[in-house]
Amino acid sequence: MSQDIEKKTFLSRFRSEFSTVLRTSTVFRVGFVLLIIVFSLAIFEPALNDFRLGGHKSTEFGVYDKLLPFSIEHPFGTDHFGRDSLAIQITGLKFSLMIGLSAGGVATLIAVFMAVVAGFVGGKMDAVLNSVTNAVLVIPTLPILIAMAAYMRMNLLLISFTLAIFSWPWAARTIRAQILSLKEMGYVELAEMTGLNKFEIMFTEILPNLIPFIGVGFSYATIGAILAETGLRVIGLGPAEIPSLGMLLNWAMTFGVLAQGYYILVIGPAAFLILIFISFNLVNTGVEEVFNPRLKKITGI
Amino acid sequence: MEPILAVEDLRVYYNSIYGDVKSVDGVSFSVNPKEVFGIAGESGCGKSTLVEGILRLIIPPGYIKTGKIPYKSTDLLSLNNEELRRLRWRELSYIPQGSMNSLNPVLRVEEQMVDAITSHTDTPKEKAREMAIARLKEVGLPVEVARMYPHELSGGMKQRVVIATSILLKPSIVVADEPVTALDVVVQKGVLQSIANLRDNYGITIIFVAHDLAAHAEIVDRLAIMYAGEIAEIGSVYDIFEDPLHPYSKLLIAAIPSIEKDVVQGIPGLAPSPLNWPTGCRFHPRCPYAMSICSTEDPPLKETKKGRHVACHKYK
Amino acid sequence: MENPLLELRNITKEYLIGGGLGLGKKKSIIAVDNVSFSVSKEKPTILALVGESGSGKTTMSRIILGLLEPTSGEILYEGRDVRNWIKKDRKAYRRNVQVIFQDPYSIYNPFYRVDRVLFKAVKKFGLASSSKEAQNMIVESMRAMGLRPEDILGRYPHQLSGGERQRLMLVRILLIKPKLVIADEPVSMIDVSLRSIFLNNLKDLRSRLKMSTLYITHDLNIGHYISDEMMVMCHGRIVETGETTSVVKSPLHPYTQGLVNAIPIPNPRKRWKDTVDIEEVTFKELLTQRQRCIYTHRCPLVMPVCKEKIPVLIEVEPGRRAACFLHPEVLEATKSQ
Repeated sequence: MSQDIEKKTFLSRFRSEFSTVLRTSTVFRVGFVLLIIVFSLAIFEPALNDFRLGGHKSTEFGVYDKLLPFSIEHPFGTDHFGRDSLAIQITGLKFSLMIGLSAGGVATLIAVFMAVVAGFVGGKMDAVLNSVTNAVLVIPTLPILIAMAAYMRMNLLLISFTLAIFSWPWAARTIRAQILSLKEMGYVELAEMTGLNKFEIMFTEILPNLIPFIGVGFSYATIGAILAETGLRVIGLGPAEIPSLGMLLNWAMTFGVLAQGYYILVIGPAAFLILIFISFNLVNTGVEEVFNPRLKKITGI
Repeated sequence: MEPILAVEDLRVYYNSIYGDVKSVDGVSFSVNPKEVFGIAGESGCGKSTLVEGILRLIIPPGYIKTGKIPYKSTDLLSLNNEELRRLRWRELSYIPQGSMNSLNPVLRVEEQMVDAITSHTDTPKEKAREMAIARLKEVGLPVEVARMYPHELSGGMKQRVVIATSILLKPSIVVADEPVTALDVVVQKGVLQSIANLRDNYGITIIFVAHDLAAHAEIVDRLAIMYAGEIAEIGSVYDIFEDPLHPYSKLLIAAIPSIEKDVVQGIPGLAPSPLNWPTGCRFHPRCPYAMSICSTEDPPLKETKKGRHVACHKYK
Repeated sequence: MENPLLELRNITKEYLIGGGLGLGKKKSIIAVDNVSFSVSKEKPTILALVGESGSGKTTMSRIILGLLEPTSGEILYEGRDVRNWIKKDRKAYRRNVQVIFQDPYSIYNPFYRVDRVLFKAVKKFGLASSSKEAQNMIVESMRAMGLRPEDILGRYPHQLSGGERQRLMLVRILLIKPKLVIADEPVSMIDVSLRSIFLNNLKDLRSRLKMSTLYITHDLNIGHYISDEMMVMCHGRIVETGETTSVVKSPLHPYTQGLVNAIPIPNPRKRWKDTVDIEEVTFKELLTQRQRCIYTHRCPLVMPVCKEKIPVLIEVEPGRRAACFLHPEVLEATKSQ
């Protein structure tokens, strides 16, 4: 019966934790609002652009005249392809975010899996997995990605997957370190004395206390992936038809817009990128600010 | 006898989103020269905050709401930072809780002590070295300890190094906060005796803060019992142990297990939280002698007999 | 004669440290050194295991609980080899031998309410056949221990005091009803005024459940209050055993005497008369030279033989064992080995 109480109130507990963080940390509040803005733009992008462009897609070439100045119809003007700049930049935001989230998600899943197996099995398996993690950590991701992108036909899926493959080690190390500390906790020993097996201990005692770390790890993995993808695009690699923010920057630079004075075509995508980074980072910092001292006090780590 | 230090109505509060946390709420007592003055109480009673307040070590969100601390001809609470710095180590020394674990692990004992001297005075290094060695001997440590690193020493020896360091500049008062809590019983005895020795052979006044009443019984001259941010009783160590007046003191002493007795009693209920002190006398919810006045009026600390102070409505 | 409830035979735990990467010599640290004792099944006893830090008492408790493997020796529970038993059926052993840990703060998972600890115990050991029954059992047991379910169930660990959390552990014991409990300094981290309630509860469980307790402590005052029998450990070896009051009032081993002399007495008229000698700086010898009595470095009555042989722990008076060459029986027994 108490277990029912537990499940039912897990949600309410999450809600109360959330409102605590919201209440306590200004940093979190600001970051959260920005995050809502970012996600709203991404989610409502099709509808928004549909509405503004009267049925045309933001990526369609030549809908408008090229390089128009700012106006009410085109708040950011138009670009060298005759597309509404604001519209294509919001589309860019959407794609960058999607790539980041999927790569970050896969990376986090891999990281949690590696960390849990290493922590769970321990011993030699742990030593082996640890070496693998460290090896991948050391591999220079960007050069490899560049090489791959130069020689292969990349699509969205492949990019995300590749980014994920290389960005899981950091999160895996952090989570594994946490698992190792948590394993020493009194309540883990008590669970063992109550007859719980290793499996149950890992999933019911340790994992719930990892949630804040997994969350933060996911955030950082996402940002890392967006940064990496942007880096690739800026040097001209990757599928040209996917207009991520990095791609927009690449086009802008290729067409020499800075020399011609069309700064918005660089500042815009850059600003959106910064918006994404700031919102994620502020949310992370806010969560860490609130959780870390409390975590120390409560879990004793 | 003129007290060497007095505390008058000291209040140390903490600013929190729930309001003021009144950790130390109106504490007054005086310390006589060359005595060991004990402050006893359980966790949360405010004794550590009290000595931090006396030594002006409170940092925000803590603050000193009111109080006066007459020392010699000044009030400690009115001194500025520069004056305080001159006072610290030279006249007032502090051994904080867990300090034996804060010895610098990369410096030899001697180096750390010499550093302490040279950074507070103009003493030349050679002289400082001599002083350090002399102090180590005074606390009963062999001279070899000077050239050793902290990790090579046992807990008891580290604690003695800390004591030696605290008396380097021959202060008048040493404040020790839980100096023997983490030590084994035989080592604890040695360190307690070192502390008592400071009084016996060097005339240093000691303010000794500890939750272990038995430790107080072994070395202190006078004792204050704290409860919920206030002082419940002050008296000579004999008076407190043989004839405790405050119900909390009585129950606390009865709760100590000892090889001398076979029965031990607890105190019912729970220690109150500083976020929410009970109304009136803070002990009244747990007091077997509580009267109706106890829940409405907080009894002030009054002198009932010579040298004995109690804060309890039973004594008028 | 029946099998004793618990028996340890020549249990040793050695740690090898250092010598990384296969280079350099490894240092050996012997935490538990050839320890043998037994807890009788005749009547429920509280046996205090007294020792300072480094005595090996915690290591030994973990070995008994099955949380640590000994380097050599056997543990028998009612005649059964514990190590094999744990490999085959850990839960069955846990049903019989339980624990109360020292730190009331870290034994509760902060993610869950405190109820979970009790419900998990009921569920895992199959103590009730339905959740309703479990709930009733828990409420009853709490009241039996003097705790109010209304005030405690449904709370998170940080909302309760250390004393309440430790007493909840006693409720857990009351539910599981083990025959033996290893209590590792259970009151050292709770306030003095709350300790006696816990200790009295523990004594109560002894008669109510006919349960024996191995009570580990460094505090002789508490050991004296709670236990019927006492065992004193020093640097991995047992130096003295016997009925508690006798061990405390007339120790047979100089180490025990030293401990008793060092206890602070809460009576200012009975202060220490003697002073303690500073411990030797070179006690590191203890780590390497163990073919001697482990108290030679501090013993005021040390004799030449003490530095040459390991004294055997044998009965010196009825019901009392000591490992000290001051007793001729020990000298005899050691010589004949």
